[in-house]
Amino acid sequence: MATIIKADGLTKKFGDLTAVDGISFEIREGECFGFLGPNGAGKTSTVRMIHCVSPITSGTIFVGGLPANVDNRKIKAMTGVVPQEITLDNDLTVFENMMVFSKFFDIPRREARKRTDELIAFVELEAKRDNKISELSTGMKRRLLVARALLNKPSLIIADEPTTGLDPQARHLIWQRLRLLKSQGTTLILTTQYMEEAQQLCDRLVIMNEGKILIGGSPRQLIDDEIGREVVEIRIDAKEDPHLIAELGPFARGHERAGDTLFFYCRDGREIQKKLVELDLPNTVHRPATLEDVFLKLTGRSLIE
Amino acid sequence: MNLSRRAFLVFYRNLVSYKRFVVSTFIASLIQPLFYLITFGIGMGAYMGAFGGKTYLSFLVPGVLITSVMMSSTFESLYGAFVKMIHEKLYDSLIATPVSAEDAIAGDILWGAFRGLISGVLMMAVAFFMGVFPVSLPAGLLLCVLMVLIGIMFGSMAMIVTSYAPNFDFFNYYTELVITPMLFFSGVFFPLDHFPAWMKTLAQFLPLTHAVQVSRAVYAGVYTKNLVLNLAFILALTAIAFWFGVGRMKKRLIK
Repeated sequence: MATIIKADGLTKKFGDLTAVDGISFEIREGECFGFLGPNGAGKTSTVRMIHCVSPITSGTIFVGGLPANVDNRKIKAMTGVVPQEITLDNDLTVFENMMVFSKFFDIPRREARKRTDELIAFVELEAKRDNKISELSTGMKRRLLVARALLNKPSLIIADEPTTGLDPQARHLIWQRLRLLKSQGTTLILTTQYMEEAQQLCDRLVIMNEGKILIGGSPRQLIDDEIGREVVEIRIDAKEDPHLIAELGPFARGHERAGDTLFFYCRDGREIQKKLVELDLPNTVHRPATLEDVFLKLTGRSLIE
Repeated sequence: MNLSRRAFLVFYRNLVSYKRFVVSTFIASLIQPLFYLITFGIGMGAYMGAFGGKTYLSFLVPGVLITSVMMSSTFESLYGAFVKMIHEKLYDSLIATPVSAEDAIAGDILWGAFRGLISGVLMMAVAFFMGVFPVSLPAGLLLCVLMVLIGIMFGSMAMIVTSYAPNFDFFNYYTELVITPMLFFSGVFFPLDHFPAWMKTLAQFLPLTHAVQVSRAVYAGVYTKNLVLNLAFILALTAIAFWFGVGRMKKRLIK
């Protein structure tokens, strides 16, 4: 697959604060690429530089061969942005929001009308076509943001935490739509702090923390490399650690203590399972490893303020 | 300055959303100037007798008219732009399209000027029925063009204020310390002739003074050399304020 975005030594500073700290990455055409990280990791700052609404402090990004900078209208014309915040036009109806927005992309009126009708159907908002934005639920507003981002038939879609604050139904609907777009060949960039979302959507992702990329790869491969296949959680007092690690350690790839819980990471949990039964421990959980384990292992299980 | 024709698309967006508020804003922008005309013009004017050979009302109308242009364009750039920037995040969605930050701000300044024009034209219509009108139709049309220019000037000045504003309260400094004093020291309600010298000098630095003089000259059809100076002041200030206002807002929008 061809490379559509290439960033080199990308840095963003706000005064003394370094939001993005010299990161480099490549995004391929047609894939879904995720930026994962806790609040303040630099995800949004990074994508804002990609779609040319934030000046680059140093380093470069090329999007479709064009250098990204705040005055590059060509990149903005080929990109659809689903913003993190709801930036709909409250004074207008659903239909008017779409029509006015299409003007900014120089879409002829007749074509804009056609696309608007198609896209309103695509996100299942036909019934709300002539309602004002204030009459929509958060889920509907987010769906409309997705529809609006598609007006210019973008070859690149940037979704910045597109499902924050949504109920499960609304979330799944947005995921389905994003997957559908990807299957049609659109490149997708997703930032999220929901591991499930990243696992559902991303072909490849990077985990960011404090402006740096900690690790990158496909979700499956990252879990395999960092954790293994399974995780055993034991809720037990820390003074038992030496004893348990001596007993269970040989069957695991690694262990970690966080608060009241001792974690064991392993490829195959059956041996540990047997041991657990022998040791007769009350509070244990044995489950498949997830991206969340990778994430927490890398960014630390303690609270990030 | 990355300015393009797309500023007019932003203007168009405002026009579409404005439909819903036409009546309320018409009334709002008419009420205050109308009170000035009735109370000062008719009420007080009755005691004034002839005023430079004309009624007091005919002195008052061009000044009040241009004041309403100032108010409309100023408030659009203060409160209108602030709400779009902070509360509705509208500019964020605009600049994610091929619209640049400069286009978005310029479009809104232009919009404020258009609002000013509407206020001014409404005042002109009201004054017409009170028996005060420009000397000729072309003079009236010329005044409309000048109202747009003056609206851009005041809108741009207010945009500079908005670019620094942390919250709505901040606007009080500007309206109370700049706009309101201007209303009284710019010769809107009475001629500047009897002011002490220092106040006359001060008045020459107030943009409203020049705007009022231009308006009054066009209404009367009396074009003097002084008018060139008034226009030069307005044009220069418009250019500086526009450039600075748009530039400052860009810095605030694009971080």
